Amino acid sequence: MQLVLAAKYIGAGISATGLIGAGIGIAIVFAALINGVSRNPSLRDTLFPMAILGFALSEATGLFCLMISFMLMFMGA
Amino acid sequence: MLNLINTFINSPLDQFESQTFFSIFTPFMDMNNFNITTFALYTFIVLFIIISLFMFTNNNNMIMGSKWFITQEMIYDTMVNTIKNQMGGKLWGFYMPFIYTFFMFILVSNLLSMIPYSFALTAQFVFIISLSFMVWLGMTIMGFYKHGLVFFALFVPQGTPLVLVPLLVLIEMMSYIMRSLSLGLRLAANVMAGHLLMIILGGLLMQFMSINILTTILGFIPLLIILCVVMLEFAIAMIQSYVWTVLMASYMKDVQYLH
Repeated sequence: MQLVLAAKYIGAGISATGLIGAGIGIAIVFAALINGVSRNPSLRDTLFPMAILGFALSEATGLFCLMISFMLMFMGA
Repeated sequence: MLNLINTFINSPLDQFESQTFFSIFTPFMDMNNFNITTFALYTFIVLFIIISLFMFTNNNNMIMGSKWFITQEMIYDTMVNTIKNQMGGKLWGFYMPFIYTFFMFILVSNLLSMIPYSFALTAQFVFIISLSFMVWLGMTIMGFYKHGLVFFALFVPQGTPLVLVPLLVLIEMMSYIMRSLSLGLRLAANVMAGHLLMIILGGLLMQFMSINILTTILGFIPLLIILCVVMLEFAIAMIQSYVWTVLMASYMKDVQYLH
């Protein structure tokens, strides 16, 4: 039983590493936004909603991993 | 007086459970579907908030709204611009009220769930994923109704070599089918992960601050970080409703114009 509990916590920890990808993705999105705005500041109003959309989409994929780790830690026996 | 023992939350997932407040019992048939649960109560609260937002801002049905009406106009204008940019063509006006309704519902229920000890309507996976599945199913039926079998042209991108067509059709069809799940899963997972994160951090800090007077003072530093997380959650509550709208408009464009 202790082994199962340990495996549960190890699994929760491993699944949280998926957030690395989400972090890199969000960084790429905002780096591209800064790049684009510094090259052409007049495009700021068109680029910003696209950046927010990209942020939300890439964050969501990371949150799937976080959700799995929360589920492993707090759900069921 | 507030009873602190009964409001203690044992598991962070307790906040997503819905209780039954009012139920009808009859010996001859099953009336469980008419129960007033937490879920039903919060759906009614969302409806009440949206209706009162419109009623209190329209300045007694005069032609010009009151000053507060500018909020409604801003939301409406943002939605019109977003959907027009996403869909293009002439058909965006037909589907704008539909997508606007979804936006208002998700926005209000997301923001309502940010009130402490309230219930997160959009973290209910069954509800949100069935909502997105129904939207997807309706769009698919509409595509078949409108284009007939030409609808399958959606799965073949333009300018594909003939050799690659079977593979690409499989991939595109998979991604089209997964839209039904991913649209709802994105929203529900975001809201659920956010609420779990806030309650776990809050619980840890509560334990830390209640050790002695020194930790109470020291605890104000992590409290600032939690404040940032709460602000991020408020932003996500608004961004996710916007994302739902944008994606729904772009799916609608695929179905209406096929590419």
